[in-house]
Amino acid sequence: MGCPRVLPGGMILVAALGGATPAAAQQIQLTRLTDFAFGTVGVDADISSSKDVCVSSSGVLGRYNIVATGSGTNRAFTLAGAGAPMAYEVQWSGTAGRATGTALTSGIATTGLATTGLGLNLGCVLGNDSASLIIVLRSSELSKATAGPYTGTLTLLIAAE
Amino acid sequence: MKQNIIAFGKFLPGRAVALLGLTALAATPAAAATNGALGATSTGSVQITVSVPSRVQITGLTDISFANAEPNGPAQSAQNNCVWSNTATKGYTITATGSGTGGAFTLASGALTPVSYAVQWNQSSGQTSGTALVASTVSGNFVSTAAVPTCATTPSSTSSLIVTIAQSQLQAMPSLTTYTGTLTLLVNPL
Repeated sequence: MGCPRVLPGGMILVAALGGATPAAAQQIQLTRLTDFAFGTVGVDADISSSKDVCVSSSGVLGRYNIVATGSGTNRAFTLAGAGAPMAYEVQWSGTAGRATGTALTSGIATTGLATTGLGLNLGCVLGNDSASLIIVLRSSELSKATAGPYTGTLTLLIAAE
Repeated sequence: MKQNIIAFGKFLPGRAVALLGLTALAATPAAAATNGALGATSTGSVQITVSVPSRVQITGLTDISFANAEPNGPAQSAQNNCVWSNTATKGYTITATGSGTGGAFTLASGALTPVSYAVQWNQSSGQTSGTALVASTVSGNFVSTAAVPTCATTPSSTSSLIVTIAQSQLQAMPSLTTYTGTLTLLVNPL
């Protein structure tokens, strides 16, 4: 930025000699995550659970992508327990309150999502969730699993677009 | 510095505060979910837990028919079936119950004297002999080789049910007379 010059009449001219002022990097935040505790389940039917989460963004359009990874071998979506790892499915919807969504692949970004939680934290503080995280356990996995408890961790990375 | 807290209108010493805090923590289920921090990217995580109960299933049973059984020897029928168990040992027990008095393994034909039969179980398929089962009594331990319920994948069967009518019983039966009964098999995971 150049030095201000005093013009006749008291006006001050500030000349921008450099490039345009850099825009602030978009900020994004994933909150209101809760655990999925299925309890003791039957083994002859699929079971799923959907939980609302909040994605807030400083971007005008609120666009983001998401990468999910599991705690299994090679970041697979599997639960560890009494027997062989139990595979599960992960779905994501860019809208809260949904029971189904787009299937996520471990380590692969799902792009082109947009949140309604614009303005950092505002929507989340008010409890206005903006996305759904869905976990599906298939009967094909449950029926071949050794009886006992299984657990795993799902990590979600979102990035502003 | 001594801290105090007001509880129900009374002052409690600082030590009591700590005890109250511990009680509250113990009653709260452990939560592993973590929210993401604000930034160009944000990472959060959730814990997923599920418990699979012990389950068994017996399938592939078919009716047994001894048509025109010759009384010059015993009549025997062996059939393959599937027992699936999801316990760590894939173990199970069987309790067989007949439709005779007190769960006896007998076949009935009106007022005629019931005809008894014997039941055997083998934890392998394709067998013509096995462990003798006692009516209404829990068997010894068996092990399943089924990978999934109903043996939908290999192996297609896991076990054998063998029913035998002794020659002496056949010879006691009037000719051209039908005897019927029901055999019930209760499988428990082990």
